[in-house]
Amino acid sequence: MEVRTSDRFPGVEWVGDPGDFIKVDESRCDGCANCVRVCLAECFEIKGKKARVRTLAECMECAACWYVCDKEAIVFSWPPGGTGFRTDWG
Amino acid sequence: MESCDVLVVGAGFGGPVAARRCAQAGLDTIILERARVPGEKVVSGLVIPFYGFTFGPDFIREGNPPIERPICRVVNRFIRDGEIYATDSTLRVPKPLALGYAAYCRPFCTWLADRAVEAGVELRTSTTAVEPILEKGAVKGVITDRGEEIRCKVLIDAGGTQNRLAIQAGLRRKYLPEALELYMVWDFEMAKEDVDETFGLSMEFFHALPEEGIGAPLGFGSTLYIFTYRESIHPGLGQFLVTRGEIPNLARLLPRYFENFQKKVTRWKRDIAPKVKLRAVTWDVCPIYAGLIPETRNMPVYGDGILIIGDAAGFEASAFGDGVPSAWFSAELAAEVAVEAVRKGDASRDTLREYERKVWEHPYITWIITDWRRWDLRKVLVSRSEAELRRMIRDHWGVGAFRYRYSGRPLLKAAREALRRDPRAPVKWMEMFTRYYHNWEENRCDPLSTS
Ligand SMILES: Cc1cc2nc3c(=O)[nH]c(=O)nc-3n(C[C@H](O)[C@H](O)[C@H](O)COP(=O)(O)OP(=O)(O)OC[C@H]3O[C@@H](n4cnc5c(N)ncnc54)[C@H](O)[C@@H]3O)c2cc1C
Ligand code: SF4
Ligand code: SF4
Repeated sequence: MEVRTSDRFPGVEWVGDPGDFIKVDESRCDGCANCVRVCLAECFEIKGKKARVRTLAECMECAACWYVCDKEAIVFSWPPGGTGFRTDWG
Repeated sequence: MESCDVLVVGAGFGGPVAARRCAQAGLDTIILERARVPGEKVVSGLVIPFYGFTFGPDFIREGNPPIERPICRVVNRFIRDGEIYATDSTLRVPKPLALGYAAYCRPFCTWLADRAVEAGVELRTSTTAVEPILEKGAVKGVITDRGEEIRCKVLIDAGGTQNRLAIQAGLRRKYLPEALELYMVWDFEMAKEDVDETFGLSMEFFHALPEEGIGAPLGFGSTLYIFTYRESIHPGLGQFLVTRGEIPNLARLLPRYFENFQKKVTRWKRDIAPKVKLRAVTWDVCPIYAGLIPETRNMPVYGDGILIIGDAAGFEASAFGDGVPSAWFSAELAAEVAVEAVRKGDASRDTLREYERKVWEHPYITWIITDWRRWDLRKVLVSRSEAELRRMIRDHWGVGAFRYRYSGRPLLKAAREALRRDPRAPVKWMEMFTRYYHNWEENRCDPLSTS
């Protein structure tokens, strides 16, 4: 499986294609930007007063976005087994 | 469709301990882990306090896990204008005793999973449990991301903080952001002789009032920690997901605090920075206040056919670095109850309720998740009093932590119980401390299935 790295977050690898395991349900989102503020990997952006997933390329699967969305607009699941974030230095 | 006696979800710190015990009792046990290798998705500091080892599972106490470094001393540095104006290093023990052991998650969890596999557990990595199988409200197994149905008599949910299965089963809700800190951790390589010379066998905390901007304004007195490893150091700092009723801009704040720390604090600039090289940057959410928030504490830790352990059950308090001990303790209690339930052929709520009773009788789990001093540390930041900050830190991470009414009482209670079960316990504890110390000196641990 393909393994990606990032200069911003050394020591971390992203394995394979985890797909869109985090989504925004636009009908619930009020554009408060809480998800944008907590995500250290800049995975979200606000477009047209709604949040949307920009990229999950550097997502560390921490779920902070899911916790802070009190509108329950973040649909959070895990990526398929064996894909996504990994590190030896956690 | 497959079936087994006990299905454990998660091969982090707690899951393998529970699974191993079930397999040893002769139960057909499977663990599912979504990572390719156990522990490679766990981010967490990590200094595991000594009582996790002394009062936790025998096989860890008697084995040679991959520990990085014994921690014999906690040094609290108080910072003003970038300079250390006071130090408290009262919390210390002589070698070979240790206050805790630093470790990385990937090798440690792999070591735990190896021990489970040796006992007959079937470990399936790269497998995510996507939802529980529910029948009339009872948990009967899980469906995996490959579409398999794995049925079991008892499910042990060791899935960590996000506790998705327990939520899907309708037993728990996601933790409130007030209960959570987001920790950003950096890992720097440092030559062994430099770590030895700069830190000895200590770990350091840096405390400052919020105006220094080197740590979270709402946290533990703006604390930044440096855990010390064999050939590396691990600074980290966290911030609550909610600060003064608002969601702070963590994406901006956490990196900025650390940048300020690196630029301002002389101890870092002079003694540490010239000797280190950045190796990794990671982060994770930690349910640090989960037990203190009544809403979380009152959520069930069991249901029909399911037992919930470790972070998934809210037994975390890494303000003291205690998440791993409570994962181990709760794993053992859950396994005892699961074994009984399978033998009786009854995994109903009534039978599994025994787990909750055992948890609430456990001196350490109850202490870990109810210690009110963690709330009090926030007051320092309101009063802006340095004297108060120092007094509280001494009570928290200094010798005051061992006062009878804090950790002293649960420590004595746990020691009395361990002695009642096994009068040779103190000898075994000393053997463990001595062996671990030699292992550290000689860079020795059991070989890992994946290294
Ligand atoms: C930054 C930070 C610092 C910390 N520092 C310390 C410390 O110094 N000392 C200490 O004792 N504790 C510390 N902790 C806490 C400690 O890491 C946790 O309490 C401990 O890891 C909990 O163990 P667990 O088994 O409950 O969960 P985890 O160790 O998180 O294990 C959960 C496992 O389940 C897997 N999983 C989850 N869902 C699924 C699924 N659906 N299917 C398959 N697999 C799944 C995950 O991949 C993971 O391997 C810290 C935590 C953090 C975040
Ligand atoms: S936190 Fe939730 S409601 Fe707010 S912007 Fe993000 S998705 Fe929308
Ligand atoms: S899980 Fe964490 S890293 Fe991933 S998008 Fe959410 S906040 Fe960002």
